Amino acid sequence: MSGKEFFVSRYKQLGWDFEDVQPRQAIRINVANAKGKNVKGRLHAIGVQLETIPFLETGYWVRSSKVSVGATAEYLLGFYSIQEAAAQIPATLFTSLKGRTVLDACAAPGGKTVQLADLMENTGVLVALDVNKRRLAALSNHLERCHVSSAVVYNLDARQASRLNLKFDRILLDVPCSGNFVGEKDWFKRRTLVDVKRNAKLQREILTEATACLRDDGEIVYSTCSLEPEENEVNIDWAVKHLDLQIEEVNCHGGKGLTEVFGNRLDISVERCRRIWPAETQGFFVCKLKKQVSKL
Amino acid sequence: MKSILKFAFQLGAKISLNADFIVEKGGRYFLLNKALLKIARKDFYYAGTYLGKVKNGKFFPSFNLLMMLAKGEANKIVVEKKAAWLFICGRDVFRKGIVTLRGSRRKGDHTLVLNEFGACLGFGKIVSRLDGAAKETEVAVKNVLDVGDFLRREA
Repeated sequence: MSGKEFFVSRYKQLGWDFEDVQPRQAIRINVANAKGKNVKGRLHAIGVQLETIPFLETGYWVRSSKVSVGATAEYLLGFYSIQEAAAQIPATLFTSLKGRTVLDACAAPGGKTVQLADLMENTGVLVALDVNKRRLAALSNHLERCHVSSAVVYNLDARQASRLNLKFDRILLDVPCSGNFVGEKDWFKRRTLVDVKRNAKLQREILTEATACLRDDGEIVYSTCSLEPEENEVNIDWAVKHLDLQIEEVNCHGGKGLTEVFGNRLDISVERCRRIWPAETQGFFVCKLKKQVSKL
Repeated sequence: MKSILKFAFQLGAKISLNADFIVEKGGRYFLLNKALLKIARKDFYYAGTYLGKVKNGKFFPSFNLLMMLAKGEANKIVVEKKAAWLFICGRDVFRKGIVTLRGSRRKGDHTLVLNEFGACLGFGKIVSRLDGAAKETEVAVKNVLDVGDFLRREA
């Protein structure tokens, strides 16, 4: 239940023919910090060639660069962040973030936390959690570099979020996952189906806790960079049936979520999820959830 | 709070901070807004705007604080492109790299270092005369802290 052949055959059964993909470096402009700074022009002047990512408003692929884009003055001043293209999608799926109480439940190293703060225009309250204390240093550096002023960070397991005694308008669940071969060397050697199932269980626990902390009219965006359906469509199907969540239509990059997984039929609404097989981006999965209207 | 004001004074700057919104946690100082003050629990790891930390009796400012100080009156030098790049790589500033000067030129004083676009890159200590009599190739401002520190922290 492991190895490249095993996983590639699973992908084939799910309708995707494996192809090796090289990750493309992408950046995201931090709009609040970069206002009036002509970041693109300044990067061009030092030899960074950017290409607009067609499905993102503030994302660019780095076509070529004479310098390290992670070491320019513009980067160090927080005008942009380095963030993989697909990973820039989840935060953009929320409606009206300004002035909201938002939870980023698995926040470190903080790329999406900073993006949320930017979309919130540093208004409202952004609560960021991570269970791993060592990763909080990277998260804090990211917040300081990008001048985020509306966030509070706790060293807390997402499965204990209700200890904060807060109800959230928006919750980002970029949950811990098995990842995929694009972003990780030797992924096929390192991962087994046991890992996938362990992660899927953890993700369900996080989903359950997040639902308990969500306001009745709130929104959850769930995402992983895993290609494994157990961590994606199967978990969301479970959430629809056990947590009384409903899947919202989203208008973003990616194909429909799978509604049949290895012979099992899932709720038809699971097709509203977005599955991104590796191509221009890494593999990714994202969906938006709300509490079922009849239960409100 | 005192250490923040004292640090600002060293840079010839004044800063007005409401003590009610400043939270000290393990020697680290954070400026919180009203909404955060209302919900933040005591056991937070990071909150609001990080201002700096006191370690062994010495204050280490954050870049947020330096940026706040740079917006007002303070000792400042604006450096040209190459000098700015060298500064964020941890190097000192030579006299010839300085384009404009504001505030103190006295040896021993501290000054903010800004790039040609007016962004604060860090601060340093004036180690030689900053007036016309100084040698062009002499180190004028010794690097104390620069934004390249973000990369060094994670190395």
